[in-house]
Amino acid sequence: MESPVEIQNNEDLTFFGKVNASISHELKNILAIISETAGLLGDLTQKAKRDGKIDLELINTCSNDIVEEIQRGFATIKHMNRFAHSVDHAIESVDLIDVLKLMINLTGFLSFASKVRFDPAEPIDRTIRTCPFRLQNLIYQTLVFAFESVGPDGEIQVSMQREPNGDARFSFSGLGSKSTGPFPADKIKKIAASIGAEIQAADDSRSINIRLPQFKEKSAR
Amino acid sequence: MKVLLVDDEIKFAIMLSKRLALRGIEVDYEHTGEAAIDKVKQNKYDVAILDVKMPGIGGIELKQKLKGLAPSMKFIFLTGHGSEVDFETGSTEGSFYLAKPLRIETLIEILHGLTD
Repeated sequence: MESPVEIQNNEDLTFFGKVNASISHELKNILAIISETAGLLGDLTQKAKRDGKIDLELINTCSNDIVEEIQRGFATIKHMNRFAHSVDHAIESVDLIDVLKLMINLTGFLSFASKVRFDPAEPIDRTIRTCPFRLQNLIYQTLVFAFESVGPDGEIQVSMQREPNGDARFSFSGLGSKSTGPFPADKIKKIAASIGAEIQAADDSRSINIRLPQFKEKSAR
Repeated sequence: MKVLLVDDEIKFAIMLSKRLALRGIEVDYEHTGEAAIDKVKQNKYDVAILDVKMPGIGGIELKQKLKGLAPSMKFIFLTGHGSEVDFETGSTEGSFYLAKPLRIETLIEILHGLTD
């Protein structure tokens, strides 16, 4: 029988693999667009040789599209790099808004992702000492649940506030009723418990609040 | 030959459809499964090229729905994953499976093979 710690470690690897798979899928899509656009430029060149006519507007569109996709690729690699380095330190001071934005971007690669309206917090203290990887996992799983609840055409709202005692509170609202299971599932409860976070889901499951305290030694993984 | 291309990556669909059109293949493209169903209700296509992972109705489910509307239509799946599991799924579905980025010559060859 697996101990709770081993289960938690398996969850960590599963999350790491899932995110990397979605990033590789995104990069493949980007390369596919660049490949087809470059191929079309080649086709247009051959056509111009045959017909003596050049569609400059289309060539310009292709050129701009390639530049845009390369920028999209750079942004994706930047997200991938930040995510990869989130396992460098078990506990560290993390920028909560940056983590939230990164998870919104990474979940955006999922085929069932809905729109996310993020209300940036007031310029208060954005940092907290916690396990960045587990916090990412917790936010990611919550966003996945929220997406499933509204479907790909829906929109959810996300915000972050700071409690008077220094705890951070993430709010996910505008959730729908399409999810098949309850929230939080056991695996998410374990992730939350490992960083001392508390999850509160509204009775109608239309909103979720996550309260995150400063890391305390007893909640170490 | 008339082809319906369905992919949620809009630029990919536009570029690929232009390349196919330059090779004499008539192509319509859509970005969602729902729009593709409407298109098939109004038009006759020889082949549908479907992206596997799309918001809403994915390629595998879409094939079943389109097959019900147009039983003679042939199918090619496109995937950004290209994993063993994907190819196995494609084989089970009795359709061709191509990984992105794809070779246009391979796609043309399969299209002609399906419709000749």
